[in-house]
Amino acid sequence: MKNYALKWVLQRVTALLLIPLTFWFIYSAISLSKMEYIEITVFFKSYINLFLFYIMMITMLLHSKLGLQTIIEDYVTSKKTSKAIKTFVNLSAYLLMILITVFTLGKMF
Amino acid sequence: MNDSRPLSPHLSIHKKVLTSIFSITHRITGIGLSVGSILISMWFLLLSLGPNYFSYFEMVSKNILFKFILVIWTIGIFYHLFNGCRKLYWSFGIGMDLITVYRSGYIVLVLTLISTAVVWLFI
Repeated sequence: MKNYALKWVLQRVTALLLIPLTFWFIYSAISLSKMEYIEITVFFKSYINLFLFYIMMITMLLHSKLGLQTIIEDYVTSKKTSKAIKTFVNLSAYLLMILITVFTLGKMF
Repeated sequence: MNDSRPLSPHLSIHKKVLTSIFSITHRITGIGLSVGSILISMWFLLLSLGPNYFSYFEMVSKNILFKFILVIWTIGIFYHLFNGCRKLYWSFGIGMDLITVYRSGYIVLVLTLISTAVVWLFI
């Protein structure tokens, strides 16, 4: 029973952050879908766009990781399987977070 | 957590009511959107790696199936977003009486349909 309360709060804090970010991303995705490669790179040259995208990705991956954990805890009864899937989900989420961070920094410098 | 821990909710035992369908749909869209977050990450990585790599995405995005997936994805995003708002105020114990729960559920459905239509029909 470790830090379940903290996870519960974090799940909701990330949800709250994702409300405006999702609307921003859908709005942006509509214009991005009409752009070519060069125009999309110009979009990310704007620090505001890059910053919002980065915050959205990290918040989304965290929110997703917490949500999937809850689902696994509710439906997978086998202790071993539960632990295995949770480890896989966590590692995937962290890997994506690291990659997104590295490539975001790469765009900044 | 041990092996004798009960499953919740008992999907195969409970009678299917609107509220339980709303709840399980939230979880299903959540899983779907998690897969989606991997796809957005891949898109960003391909973009960052350069035009040669990004052409893989451009190739896939020309497929008709891609547009179909995007429409389903949009529905999933809006449903999860609006239903998530409901869950947020439930966390504070607000709006939890049965009539309000049903009413807000229908509002979620209407908002999801309107938002998806705005994105795909008017833009």
